[in-house]
Amino acid sequence: MFDAVFTNLPYLLGGFLINVQLAAFALAGGLFLGALVGLGRISKRPWVYHPVTVYVNLLRNIPLILVIFWVYFVMPIFTGRSMDPFISAAVSFVVFEATYFGEIFRAGFQTISRDLVSAAYSTGLTYRQTAAYILVPIAFRRMLPSLITQSIITFQDTSLAYVIGLQEMVRRTTIVDSIEVRSIQLYSFVAILFFVICFIGSRISLHYEEKSRKAKVL
Amino acid sequence: MIEIKNVSKWFGDFQVLVDIDEVVERGQKVVICGPSGSGKSTLLRCVNGLEPYQKGEIVVDGVSLSDPKTNLYKLREKIGMVFQRFELYPHLTVMRNITLAPMKVKKQSRPAAEKKAMALLERVGIPDKAAAYPANLSGGQQQRVAIARALAMEPDCMMFDEPTSALDPEMIQEVLEVMIGLAKDGMTMLVVTHEMGFAREVADEIIFMDAGRIVERGSGDEFFKNPQSQRTKDFLGQILK
Repeated sequence: MFDAVFTNLPYLLGGFLINVQLAAFALAGGLFLGALVGLGRISKRPWVYHPVTVYVNLLRNIPLILVIFWVYFVMPIFTGRSMDPFISAAVSFVVFEATYFGEIFRAGFQTISRDLVSAAYSTGLTYRQTAAYILVPIAFRRMLPSLITQSIITFQDTSLAYVIGLQEMVRRTTIVDSIEVRSIQLYSFVAILFFVICFIGSRISLHYEEKSRKAKVL
Repeated sequence: MIEIKNVSKWFGDFQVLVDIDEVVERGQKVVICGPSGSGKSTLLRCVNGLEPYQKGEIVVDGVSLSDPKTNLYKLREKIGMVFQRFELYPHLTVMRNITLAPMKVKKQSRPAAEKKAMALLERVGIPDKAAAYPANLSGGQQQRVAIARALAMEPDCMMFDEPTSALDPEMIQEVLEVMIGLAKDGMTMLVVTHEMGFAREVADEIIFMDAGRIVERGSGDEFFKNPQSQRTKDFLGQILK
């Protein structure tokens, strides 16, 4: 009953690999930039806090699909050359997800007591060292369940990149469907694949949530 | 080595420190006591450059903290600090808590930093806890690790901000013993505490603060035997009851 899927399996899974790659870039870049954004959002320096806050509020109030279009169509006007859909999508996801990860990191930083930071400073650590070795690792561990949940959303959202012609799995499914005309089985297959990956992800998140509740290590 | 000259500090309209003058010589032990909210902790934070002050001057080892050219990070290496609630890094082992600053700030090699950390853990009496995480230690053990962490930077002076007030009574002594040991080794110490037994034993000078002012100061014996102000008498009456 999944005949159209099996015939085109390598092609479809090749598309899925692109989703995975795009998610990997989005998460690596989004987490890194998000940690910096979170630090900016707790900064006491107005010239750091205000621009970062404007950036966060702006991106969080725009649909992701618009950001994808914007980067794809507007960026080349500034850079002077057309962008590869994958790079364009990766850039869109990093700048978009960084605002969400940034707000999660901000919440994590706010659980850290002022005296813990003072303790780090009192041993001579600089702001950068305190951020890198104390603030970010603690916030990351404490916010792990939320970070995983947001990562799952990011992974699902990678399929939106089909709007700029990226040959990811959903895009490839529409192509296969236009030839084979087997909509139900093709789209069911895609749905199952996403579901399985994301369900496993949410279980992992739950696991860490319970673990951190039991062991009060952090 | 620490000169506090006419320092005042405000939080908004509220004045937390009023014209504080104090000199701590090298090797001297000064105990600060007083009711909560009297500005004791704020004073320590100012000396370490963790809080700004609006008037006066603090000079540490000839370097003024209010000078914008002063590198506060560099200065803090010379002054170790211990906090009321220990403030160990919860995600790092005891060993890493102690070696982090020596490795990152002083660029010591890991083996050198760990050797030094083990020696410090011996000194505070818990060498067997090197691999443990802070959450698995008792309060007294955590505070001793915090002292070891501060000592690992080989500071010229140690400041303690109510180091025993978050501890269960049976753990207070083990922390005080480490502090008395430090005092006997000649460390310069600035200690905010209500442990009057400790104050009597080690303090060269006791300061009583109230409402942001130094109300009274005296050497250990004269402070207890012959307090001058009524405010000090009331306070001592309460905590020595």
